[in-house]
Amino acid sequence: MKKLLLLILTFCFSLTGFAQEKGSVLIKDGTLITITDGNMPNTDLLIEDGVITEIGEDISAPRGVETVDASGKYVMPGIIDAHSHIAGVDINEWTNPVTAEVSMEESINPNDINIYWALAGGVTSIHLMHGSANVIGGQNETLKLRYGTEMDDMRFEDAPRTIKFALGENPTRVHGQGFDVQPRTRMGVEQVIRDHFDAAIDYKRNRQEYLDAKQAYEDGYRSTPPVPVAENERLDVLVDILEGEVLVHTHSYRADEITMLMRVFNDYRIEDYTFQHANEAFKVAPELKKNGAYTSVFADWWAYKFEVYYSTAYNASILNANDVKNSINSDSGELIRHLNHEAAKTVHYGNTSKQDALKMITINPAVQLGIDEKVGSIEVGKHGDVAIWDGHPLSIYSKTLKTYVDGKKYFDRAEDADDMRLKVDAEQEFDEASGRWYNENGRHSETCLRGAEIRFSKQGMKLQGN
Amino acid sequence: MKKTARITVLCFSFLMVCSLHGWAQSSPAEAFKNVTIHTADGNTIKSGTIVWRNGVITNIGKDVSIPFDAYVRDGGDSLHVYPGFIDGHALWGSPDVEENVETPDEPGNPGYGRAGIQPERKPSELLQTDSKALSEAPKKGFTTAALGLKGQMLPGQVDLFFINEKETEDLLLKQGVGITAQLEEAQGQAYPSTTMGVMSQLRQLFNDAEALQQQEHYFASVSSNYPAPKQNKVLEALYPVMDNQQPFYFVVDTKENIERVFELQDELGFEVVIVSGKEAYKKSDELKQRNIPVLASIDLPEEPEWRSDDEDEDQPEITEEMRIFRDRQEEAYKADIQNIAKLIDSGVKVGFASNGLELSDISKNLTVLQEESDLGKEAILRMLTQSTADILGYSNQLGNIAEGRIASFTVFNKPFMEEKAQALYSITDGNLTEFEQESSEE
Amino acid sequence: MMKDTEIIMKYLKSTISACLLVLLLGMSVEAQITQKAEIGKFAITNATIYTVTNGVIENGTVLIENEQIVEVGNDVDIPSEYEQIDASGKQVYPGFFDAGTQLGLQEIGAVAVTNDQAELGDFNPHVRAFTAINPSSASIPVTRVNGVTHVISMPVSGRLAGKATLIDLYGYSPDSMAVTPNAGVHLNWPTSKKGGWWDDRTDEEVDKEYKEDLKKLNDFISRAQFYNKMMTDFENNPSNKEQPDMNKKMQAMREVVKGEIPVIISVDAKSDILNVIDWTKDYPDMQFVLAGVRDGWRVADEIAEAGLPCLVSTLYTPERDYDNYQRPYQNPAKLHAAGVKVAIATGGVENVRNAPYHAGFAASYGLGKQEALNAITINAAEIFGVDDKLGSIEEGKQANLFIADGDPFEPMNHITDVFIRGHKIPMVSRHIQLYQQYLDRGAKTN
Repeated sequence: MKKLLLLILTFCFSLTGFAQEKGSVLIKDGTLITITDGNMPNTDLLIEDGVITEIGEDISAPRGVETVDASGKYVMPGIIDAHSHIAGVDINEWTNPVTAEVSMEESINPNDINIYWALAGGVTSIHLMHGSANVIGGQNETLKLRYGTEMDDMRFEDAPRTIKFALGENPTRVHGQGFDVQPRTRMGVEQVIRDHFDAAIDYKRNRQEYLDAKQAYEDGYRSTPPVPVAENERLDVLVDILEGEVLVHTHSYRADEITMLMRVFNDYRIEDYTFQHANEAFKVAPELKKNGAYTSVFADWWAYKFEVYYSTAYNASILNANDVKNSINSDSGELIRHLNHEAAKTVHYGNTSKQDALKMITINPAVQLGIDEKVGSIEVGKHGDVAIWDGHPLSIYSKTLKTYVDGKKYFDRAEDADDMRLKVDAEQEFDEASGRWYNENGRHSETCLRGAEIRFSKQGMKLQGN
Repeated sequence: MKKTARITVLCFSFLMVCSLHGWAQSSPAEAFKNVTIHTADGNTIKSGTIVWRNGVITNIGKDVSIPFDAYVRDGGDSLHVYPGFIDGHALWGSPDVEENVETPDEPGNPGYGRAGIQPERKPSELLQTDSKALSEAPKKGFTTAALGLKGQMLPGQVDLFFINEKETEDLLLKQGVGITAQLEEAQGQAYPSTTMGVMSQLRQLFNDAEALQQQEHYFASVSSNYPAPKQNKVLEALYPVMDNQQPFYFVVDTKENIERVFELQDELGFEVVIVSGKEAYKKSDELKQRNIPVLASIDLPEEPEWRSDDEDEDQPEITEEMRIFRDRQEEAYKADIQNIAKLIDSGVKVGFASNGLELSDISKNLTVLQEESDLGKEAILRMLTQSTADILGYSNQLGNIAEGRIASFTVFNKPFMEEKAQALYSITDGNLTEFEQESSEE
Repeated sequence: MMKDTEIIMKYLKSTISACLLVLLLGMSVEAQITQKAEIGKFAITNATIYTVTNGVIENGTVLIENEQIVEVGNDVDIPSEYEQIDASGKQVYPGFFDAGTQLGLQEIGAVAVTNDQAELGDFNPHVRAFTAINPSSASIPVTRVNGVTHVISMPVSGRLAGKATLIDLYGYSPDSMAVTPNAGVHLNWPTSKKGGWWDDRTDEEVDKEYKEDLKKLNDFISRAQFYNKMMTDFENNPSNKEQPDMNKKMQAMREVVKGEIPVIISVDAKSDILNVIDWTKDYPDMQFVLAGVRDGWRVADEIAEAGLPCLVSTLYTPERDYDNYQRPYQNPAKLHAAGVKVAIATGGVENVRNAPYHAGFAASYGLGKQEALNAITINAAEIFGVDDKLGSIEEGKQANLFIADGDPFEPMNHITDVFIRGHKIPMVSRHIQLYQQYLDRGAKTN
């Protein structure tokens, strides 16, 4: 009964979640980069109430719908970043090798100025990921960059649930090296995953047996009451992974650990997973292809730690040539501002076609996040998440002019003001010092302390890491 | 310091408070006459009289007959009597949080205490009676406080006390008014280390408590052949919250954290009182809709320095961007200051909670509130008294000066918000304490 | 000792395994690594030549003989012994110059033992980046095949971090790579501002700390000035003088206080920049260059008036949360417009190869292509006093240039040939080798 009430309650609240503002706009005479259907010069695009309703020539604006002239301009689907930590409060619940129970859904900071800066780079959706300190980390949350709305309204409604796994140096360093807790090695990482999947299978059976027995006892079919098996937040999520309800996105670098995880996933029949970073994915591209695994990689990051020393900026092109569905992600508040140029680097490194380069920041990440039915291309019926560019988006000389989410404009270069903060701290000082401009001690300060550095702050120890 | 130390017993049909020196019905009455009486509803009685006996106000008004056995103090028409202030969530007398805690062997499995899960802790058992706050609070007009404990996510229970220095220990009015909760991670390197971790942990605690409760129930209902439940004080302490017999006193400030509490409330179905709530005004409508009261902090933001800059002094040139920055900063400052006013305006029940704010800052910040926000003196007084009593569930016993109410009030030398206002007498549960006059230089 | 082939035969006989195939593939990589740079006589023909200092020459020719450019122009006779490189449809640029990096000093960020850019101690004018440049760093080929041929590499820790070095990215020893072994001394300016929310010092503490730091710095320099004067006096006329004791740190400061090499001052916040400007006025004999300068656009006029060149980048997030999103991109343009000489400095290590894109963003956001080109070539050369041989495609200058199939600021375009000091560099790097090895793994391998 309580459960039912809860369900009704959740339903009511998810309804209010749908109440965010949606917009309508007619974008005329632009070159539409549809992604899935080539480029269409001098074509109109009509978005009504948040959804693309018409693509064609000479569309006239329905009453009350604003018309935007895009002649000589490019219209492309909003960029989707499959790996981001902007708009997050805490990133790593790093204290345990497995923390599947936590969710970035509860760690959203809708006031982060980085959201606006990303919109100014034509980004409309991000995959807000948990950090990489644990083998099975927290659940991630797919967001739409509805800057200026509330925490709840940032969520991409109906996007599949996803979770972060992490292999290699980060979990072995934090837990094995840092705390003398398994795993200390890549051998241990595999077993931590298997142990927990096995535990989840046992838990599922025991819990169900308990619930059945309880019912039977209450209905009088059983004489002795059962011993309760408590609901377990962590194992519940692992069960959901095994049942295919949660897509796994795994922080990984080396080819061996990538193949290890594919073996494990095959054993547990887990599908539709994505390797994040995957700097050595190029070495096992045929295996990835065979298993239908996806990859989401950096355009050119390497050498910041040992496991990315033997890597190549040609990774994306090799994967693409081997027919592995790959996306280019930012994992950074800086790169997310020009993911289009990160994608352009795949043309530089390995001659990926421009069309494929653009897919890597639109439809491919959408597939990896399970939202490709809704976003990632310009098609009738998809969400009105688009950006207007003053030139070809892969050119360094092109700029985002306007960015729309659900047909509502969230960025307009012509109306761009200096101070776009949503939340002003009454106690902030005007003139603060900054960090050093160069990479200090080999660390990349702009990128969430990539090597999972432990840092001390006023609020105690926090750990981020990618 | 002189004081009259006498403990009385207070009997209500629904409530019994025992004390060590209790004896019945023999106390003489006491009274103040020729005082200005300020009631919580904003009325003022000039040249008034207030009579109390056995800890209860028996008579109040302008022309009141004073019983023959009343010891009378004459205010000479210069003293001001206020209902005793009530602190809805104070940390006075709480042991401090241990610093420099060690990293557990398994940081992911630190055990309840180390994780900050201590709902079984009771202020009444841990109260540090030599705490300075307990002797200073009455001088600031406080006679009652719901005392909580310092800690992390579940620091302990909330117990309601009359405040009277060292005797506070014996003046417990009610144990277990609620349980304090915070979105506060464990100290140092231990689970939970994030807000999302705290939320998951809370859910798991409810799951575990539910299972234990179920097992206890089964164990009690069958005669044999059933394993005995393992006692668990931590989980058992959560039963009253799960059964809606006690609310969580949830300490949160930001809009987003208040939304997180809503989410948890929807899932776990507990009753909740928001404590502190510095940005509660941003969620005032939903608070009202959910009927969640706020025990508001008055730990106000610092006024931006430039607002009080001397114009004669050398100031940096105000650039356009600096001007915009300042405008927005001022806007934010003013909005934060208006928190309580906005909440009251929206129909949210607002009481007061110091929740760690220094006593010396309380009177200072009340003045700022009065000057900078739309809260009038009356509203501030009501918040400190009747409204807090309402939230604590004592609307008919505490919070006002009226016949039949518990005799807890304070006598000041001038209206309490005025400069150099000092408490001369504190009457706590009928017991009078007289304070030494502080020299006027101070 | 067995020969390589014998070893292989031995393996072949014993087993046909995955290891073998990997080994074979490894061998083919080996072959590419041994590809050598060539030096001699080259003629780059039919090219669009961006000389930087003398405009753009369409359909032009560049003649390179040994280390030098011997001729540039439209009507160039190409002697037969010149190896011709047809650059039809391509563009030629002077080698790009990143004026602030740690390239060669760090191999793997998270592996501390491979980090040589941060020495202990506050005042280290005597430690030299030149000493620790690793010519075999995997990052060097990765950088140069993207057209970046020269970098300033600098130590970063403490107050006076040490001497920066100017190197080109071809050579087998620091000595062969160095253009100017000591190119400047790196000073981390002490900030007078609080760091942010994590900084829990009071305003008074911050101010006190700043003043102490500044005093230490001033004391250090005035001791160096004294030391220099004393040594100069002694050197000029040693008779009747007792020889002063040698002081390494002070000795290292002599070229600095004499103004022979610049002090490269890392400074970002507006108030700090203003403090630096004031401070430099106390040392009229010394040379200064600002680096970072992220708030530079706020005080561009003041910087211009002080005549301080700036080493800047563009790909970072705005310094303050209330800044316009474009400020980092616009900073070089705004500084330039005020009259400041700007050069591109990424501050990076393994991705110094992105320096052209820093310049590209600057070009795109107000600086324009020509000025952005200057910023990544001739301006840097001028700032470090090497414009007589670097920074442009001119007769008599060193042959540092590259050929691209389009605008090199565009990430989509490719660099096809690179010359450093006249050496035609093999277009090989770890990244390219791994690409060649793995694009198609070939035989069925597991």
